Amino acid sequence: MTTLQTQLHWEDVKEGDTIPGYTLDLTWTKMVEQVSGSQDFYEVHHDPDFAREAGHEEIFYNTGFTQAALCRLLTDWMGKDGWIQNFSFQMRRMNIPEDHVQVKGVVTGTQVREDGKGAVTVDLWLENDRIGITTPAEATVLLPLRES
Amino acid sequence: MSDQVDESYDIEVIKAEWIGKKTEKTTGRYPVEYDPIRRHCHMVEDTNPLFLDPDAGKNSQYGAVIAPPVMAGYFAGSGPWPQKAKTDALANVPTRGERKINMNIDWEYLIPIKIGDQLSSQRELIDIFEKPIKLDSKAVWLVTETRITNQNDDVVAIGRNTLLTHRTPEQVSADL
Repeated sequence: MTTLQTQLHWEDVKEGDTIPGYTLDLTWTKMVEQVSGSQDFYEVHHDPDFAREAGHEEIFYNTGFTQAALCRLLTDWMGKDGWIQNFSFQMRRMNIPEDHVQVKGVVTGTQVREDGKGAVTVDLWLENDRIGITTPAEATVLLPLRES
Repeated sequence: MSDQVDESYDIEVIKAEWIGKKTEKTTGRYPVEYDPIRRHCHMVEDTNPLFLDPDAGKNSQYGAVIAPPVMAGYFAGSGPWPQKAKTDALANVPTRGERKINMNIDWEYLIPIKIGDQLSSQRELIDIFEKPIKLDSKAVWLVTETRITNQNDDVVAIGRNTLLTHRTPEQVSADL
């Protein structure tokens, strides 16, 4: 078990900062973990014949997996006292078996709101070596203020 | 969803009949549990102690293990087994094809989800429209809003989902 990371504060963050990313290799074992973790048994995510019959190149990783990967980027970064307030993403292109997926993000704005909370807006995404960005996303994260 | 495949498919009629319809509020099959969170974290190699370590959760500001917020929908549902008949009010929104892909997902998270919470959800059809895609020139898109609440009826999360439905290449060729 890892320990809780050093807490990130709103004052530590500025527009343009890169969020530390991570990678996931979409092996066939990872495909099984996807089905187990999401409990999404729709065949288009695990049955190549079904996916191709529907007109797709290959099975593709599901929404549950994708949002989990994006969410992890934020929760790893923001620390135990951060809070994801808003989170949206678009399943524009597909991540398929054998893809090497990178999960990345960048800070797009910071603001102390009227309610005194430190808000940070973030662009984040999944990209793979085959076709680039597949899943653009945006989030607003609340971070503790150092002075509070 | 049903595959209404005849030429009488009229999106304006369907909009008038279906937009604003809501499902019954339903409660998740089980309370929020450790093991689904562990499996969720496993698939993306997440080792966050707030999600996985009861001691860390107990000593955190939450006082218990919490679930990643994106699991709100999971715990408000009944899971894939034992299967439940899809009899809710939005189970049979007419579409042209039965193949489907989630496209845009937008969530607002209001309060944490803790071990032992019992979540419920209610969905409403916000919009339905036709918009062509490469696979299907007559693809039909559905937008739904889901409100997830806990055992105290506090709103945990509000989500908006855009679902693309399309026909198979064979159905498109035959213009079914």
